[in-house]
Amino acid sequence: MLISLNWIKDFVEIPELSPKEIGSSFTLTTAEVEEIKITGAGLENVTCVEIKSFKPHPEADKLNLVTFDIGGGETREVVCGAPNVKVGIRVPYAPIGTTLPNGMTLEPKKIRGILSDGMLCSEVELGLGDGKAGLMELNETAKPGVKLLDYLNLGSDTILDVDNKSLTHRPDLWGYYGLAREFAAAHGKPLKNPFTEDWKKKIEAQFNSKASPLKVNVDSDSSCHAYLGLSINNIKVGTSPEFIQNRLLAAGLRPINSIVDISNYVMVELGIPNHIFDRDKISGDTLFIKKAGTDQVFKTLDETDRKLIASDTVITDINQTLVLAGIMGGLSAGVSETTKNIFLEVANWEAPEVRKTSVRLGLRSDSSQRYEKTLDSNLCYRTLLRLIEKIKEANPEAEIIGTPSVFYNEEKKSKELTLTISHAQIVSSLGMEVSVDRVTDIFTRLDFKVKNNSNVYDVTIPTYRTTKDIYCKADLIEEIGRMIGYDNIIPVSPLMGVRPIRLSQTKIFHRKIQDFLVQEAKSLEVMTYPLVGEELLTKSSWSDFSEKMILVNALSTDADRMRPSLIPSVINLAANNSKNYSHFSFFELGRSYPTYENERSQLIFGLYSKEETRFTELLSHIEKLLGHLNISYNFTGKSSKFKSMVVDQEWKGLHPHEYINIQVMGKFAGMCTTINPIILKNFKMKGYLSLAVIDITDIESKEMKDKTKYHPIAKYPSSSFDFTVVASQDVPAGDILSVLNSVKIKELKQKTVKDIFVMNEKEKAVTLRVIFESEIETLSAEFLKNAEGQLIQALDSKGFKLRS
Amino acid sequence: MQVLDQLLDQFNSELKDIHRVPDLLNLKSKYLGKQGPISEVMKGLKDATVEQKKEIGSKANILKNQIETILNTKMEELELKDINEALSKDKIDFSLTDSIRDLGLQAAGFHPVSIIQREIEDIFVSMGFEVLDGPHIEDEFHNFEALNIPDTHPARDMQDTFWFADKKHLLRTHTSTIQVRGMKERKPPFRFVGPGKVFRCERTDASHEMVFHQLEGMMVGENVSVGNLIYFMKTLLTEIFKKEVEVRLRPGFFPFVEPGFELDIKCLICGGKGCSVCKHVGWVELLPCGMVHPNVLKAGGIDPEKYNGFAFGLGLDRLVMMRYGIDDIRHIHGADLRFNSQFKSF
Repeated sequence: MLISLNWIKDFVEIPELSPKEIGSSFTLTTAEVEEIKITGAGLENVTCVEIKSFKPHPEADKLNLVTFDIGGGETREVVCGAPNVKVGIRVPYAPIGTTLPNGMTLEPKKIRGILSDGMLCSEVELGLGDGKAGLMELNETAKPGVKLLDYLNLGSDTILDVDNKSLTHRPDLWGYYGLAREFAAAHGKPLKNPFTEDWKKKIEAQFNSKASPLKVNVDSDSSCHAYLGLSINNIKVGTSPEFIQNRLLAAGLRPINSIVDISNYVMVELGIPNHIFDRDKISGDTLFIKKAGTDQVFKTLDETDRKLIASDTVITDINQTLVLAGIMGGLSAGVSETTKNIFLEVANWEAPEVRKTSVRLGLRSDSSQRYEKTLDSNLCYRTLLRLIEKIKEANPEAEIIGTPSVFYNEEKKSKELTLTISHAQIVSSLGMEVSVDRVTDIFTRLDFKVKNNSNVYDVTIPTYRTTKDIYCKADLIEEIGRMIGYDNIIPVSPLMGVRPIRLSQTKIFHRKIQDFLVQEAKSLEVMTYPLVGEELLTKSSWSDFSEKMILVNALSTDADRMRPSLIPSVINLAANNSKNYSHFSFFELGRSYPTYENERSQLIFGLYSKEETRFTELLSHIEKLLGHLNISYNFTGKSSKFKSMVVDQEWKGLHPHEYINIQVMGKFAGMCTTINPIILKNFKMKGYLSLAVIDITDIESKEMKDKTKYHPIAKYPSSSFDFTVVASQDVPAGDILSVLNSVKIKELKQKTVKDIFVMNEKEKAVTLRVIFESEIETLSAEFLKNAEGQLIQALDSKGFKLRS
Repeated sequence: MQVLDQLLDQFNSELKDIHRVPDLLNLKSKYLGKQGPISEVMKGLKDATVEQKKEIGSKANILKNQIETILNTKMEELELKDINEALSKDKIDFSLTDSIRDLGLQAAGFHPVSIIQREIEDIFVSMGFEVLDGPHIEDEFHNFEALNIPDTHPARDMQDTFWFADKKHLLRTHTSTIQVRGMKERKPPFRFVGPGKVFRCERTDASHEMVFHQLEGMMVGENVSVGNLIYFMKTLLTEIFKKEVEVRLRPGFFPFVEPGFELDIKCLICGGKGCSVCKHVGWVELLPCGMVHPNVLKAGGIDPEKYNGFAFGLGLDRLVMMRYGIDDIRHIHGADLRFNSQFKSF
């Protein structure tokens, strides 16, 4: 939204502040000013001149030496490259020393050897247009010597560019009169209201008893909230005066013709869009406002075919659709150069309907932008009167036919609203002292009626603010706060009871995992996208996926669904990083999304090496991590009986040997595997990738008791015993050691694998070390001998003979 | 007597040529042994007078102590030499620390978002806020309706929402959804923050992502004021940026707060004078905040006549990018270890 301060000044006096200060004040009280432009800046010294003669530059084909009259009988000569140089045309001239709006300062300069005394300018160089090539040609009123700004009737203007989004909630600010009210309230100046009862009566006096040539028929199921119309005959369509054109340009609208310009002018001024029909192009004597009823193609006046659907509201004559309600008119009944008789429409439409249609068509017009904010039907009549006034002003001979036809959907008409709020509540909510007078003054300036009953206000809100903007006390507090300036509120700590706050169990749990994996497992934490694509799942042979988890409006096929597991994502990440590193360790704490309501918290930890498998290292870290988290667990092999929470036991990516399930609280909550090369191949990846995946959803929020308990340090010496058994190569050392679990001797405190020695291709010698210790005595030789015998016996019975 | 006088010089001159422990032991027994010259002198005193005994005896003792001291020193010297020689034969190459070895990528550390998020969580916990999170897949109620964004509200246009095929479920577009659940599970007064991932259906580029992180904050109680909100924001930002930060509030429209604000901080680069970072305004827009809308309190089961509160939303990725000078937001979820390893703990 572009706000021209010159135009605003029609309704309020703006104090003598710098443009930056005015912009900053608007930002702090109303909405953010994104940019401040000053029009006419740099043009003060530009004058109109008349070209007297020109001749080619002796040194350059495309340049001319142009002599022109600058008024007062003086002439100048410049070098000029414009293609439209002609004797007799009047053009703008910028003398040496001028700084043009684009920041260029004209300095005495020789162009191909000839000194150019300033410059003849194009619209672009003057910041007045968008690219017409060549010199800006002026009409006969541009007498040589006349200042360009005077010729254009263009005073210097400040334009505030406000982000439309920040005005979403303020339908009243989509017109300059409403904006002027904000300036008036913010700067403590009176708002000038030209739209008085007298004004109204003066225009109404022109209504007459002539029969209206056009009837209006509004269907009750259309999105119409109000429809006001009036016929006017005998108008002339021409070019608008520069004053109107300049104002429209300042507001960011292109001048079209004298009638369309008035329509736009009134919309910008009062914030209510309107439409003017060429009445002679309407077939029949009735306009129908109704739902389109059938799907159809409608050519809007920007000459684009639009696909309308049955539920769009349109305005038609007996033959065809004329206007897409609230959005844009069509070509057939629009005002053209030849238009004589017109029909004025000022209407209001159901905001969500306008929005829906305009979003669907991707067509956002000045009109739809305003209607979708929810406008106030009560303002339509004033808008119609203003439209009549401006048309009569431009066409004094125009003839009003009859009186306006008026339709209101009374139910949808915005009503005044009275809210009650105490002064104390305003003060307490803002956290700032403010006087009753100040509050009353702010409300009054905003056109709210205030009744103060011992510092409890009854505040009546005008209809144009109750369409949806203001409906509760908090809205009133905002009005006071922003006008005082939130800047003036002193920061203050609240007074609140003290109670202990600590991180949630889940947070603590996550942090413990992160700390361990960084500090102990020396890995890097990463994040991968929770959104994945079909290709990734296919490459990973991951079939466990529900089609429900596909997004309907994804941006690309690589990210159109929620990941069912973190595994495919991290295989991909490992593949990418294996191009840069021969060895790395990483982890992610993320979510997988098997169904809508069941997001799973997954920990994935991966070790990669180009040269060798790191599966044992992975397991060692996982053992320690689970211990660190106080989680009791079991490692077990693949199972066809139980379902794993993290991987289908039949998944191709599992390693035939390097695989274990992690059992926690009876469930297969996790697993460790080295990824099968058949999957790595799909990722064009070489090397060894071992992954541990644990579903921590059911564990993370539970407080894991720290079971650490002190035992007195042994008073009696312990005794260790090493012995070596022979086992076949393919028996895991851990299995041999766990045979000793069957031996119940309470003095047996520790058992470990001391050493492994490869004897031959088939056999290995495994040295075990056990430690016996008693809390009550030094263990006797007989005891030890007997205990050792039991251990050897246990191993022997499982086929692990003592090595002789 | 003369023997004794010369004895020390003679010992010293013999010592000079000793370089091995056994030779030193021989020298020791030669001088201090039972057959040694000092013993001989002492033996010879048998027949001397009392004065002579006294004089020569004491002299011999002093000499003996002197020689012993010299021998001990020399002994230590030789032993040390031997040990060091032995150790030198068994040299390791300690220049070969991990840092110069090709062991692949050795860096270990947290994701930069985790670093900043933890820092901010800790600041809030220290000010009495709990830390919550919620589901990423939400329904319309939690993402919109409960936050005072009805179906017809244009604000639904402002957020590009990812929808699932059932048209009921969506990916949360803001962490404000955490507010709704947080309120329902608590009775005022309470304070909490909710950091987490959010999703927007938005074309990605260096400064736009479809997945990013926000941190929602909320405080509800009796008589919570805009002044309180400014206080917490100022304190938080001063902690985050580790220097006094000037803030200002200006009106901003967000359906779930009323009044709603945009919070700007005075540009940390130019100090408010105006530079390219702050687009020459002197202020940088940092976070939206406001007083919780009464409809939102109601949706959270809280009586807006009795309680009020404030809420705010902080973009974590932006803070991370500001802190480390990261130029492309897509690195956050890119999992390129060349990026992640730059934030290593060690």
